[in-house]
Amino acid sequence: MADPRRDRGEGSSAGSAGESWFFCLRLLGGRYAFEAPLVTEVVRLGPLTRLPAAPSFLPGVFTHRGEVLPVLDIGQLVGQPSVPIRPSTRAALVHSGPWKVAVVSESVEGLVAIPRANLEPPPAESAGVAEFLQAVGRDGRGPIAILDLPRLVDTARARAVPAGGTAA
Amino acid sequence: MTWQTTEILMFQVGPRVFAASVHDAVRIGSVRDVPAGALVVGSALGMPFDRERGIAVDDPDGAGLMLVVDAVLGIRSIPEEDVLPLPAFAAACMASGAVAGLVHVDGAPLLLVDLPTLVSERPGATPTQRAA
Repeated sequence: MADPRRDRGEGSSAGSAGESWFFCLRLLGGRYAFEAPLVTEVVRLGPLTRLPAAPSFLPGVFTHRGEVLPVLDIGQLVGQPSVPIRPSTRAALVHSGPWKVAVVSESVEGLVAIPRANLEPPPAESAGVAEFLQAVGRDGRGPIAILDLPRLVDTARARAVPAGGTAA
Repeated sequence: MTWQTTEILMFQVGPRVFAASVHDAVRIGSVRDVPAGALVVGSALGMPFDRERGIAVDDPDGAGLMLVVDAVLGIRSIPEEDVLPLPAFAAACMASGAVAGLVHVDGAPLLLVDLPTLVSERPGATPTQRAA
């Protein structure tokens, strides 16, 4: 199980001024990233235990080092197909406020450094995954969509149990 | 060296096996003589295949409710360290407050169900009709 922060020295311009670090995953057929400090670990998903009365974006929980962790499927949250879960599937463990979740991915790319000058505001769309974009960047491999993790996690919670008490 | 243990009741609803604290169960038996209004058939755990056996639950309201199950598989004593709480994010997203955590029995994870909470959620309601 990799600690992404240990890999921080891989980038050729690691730590240099004018860059921001992100942790990049492949999902929904594209490259998506979170701010690097929010990602604590990359794990291979163990067998999932499905939860009753859970929204579709919460496909289950699994046990990792004696702790039960919830799995978040961003595809289902934004109305797109599920990210396939196989024995080889990896997830990024992320912290957002009090919540700790495992974001399931198609594959893990790792840490990327993006010059701040290459970061642009997200498009004005407010549907699907665009609703959760914090910025759009570009590195040597191509474009990367930066996700606003706190907003994504808070929205997931709100959609699961909205005010009034009826599940979404 | 001593280990603290907890006793769990394992039962099956539909195709899945669940666990609950043995102290929450008052009686296990046939549902035949139980009034229909006291039976909890559909719950957040799903629908049972049959309606023959049930677990009478020690619910705080004293309503004498019985959860209909397909089978009661037995009682096991497990180390307390094998009882793990449900993660906060999962608990916050679920439409039922009845799942308290996971227990590992023979290496396999089972959902630990709070039976009083489960039966106090509106009997017969589908999971999406309820909120935690």
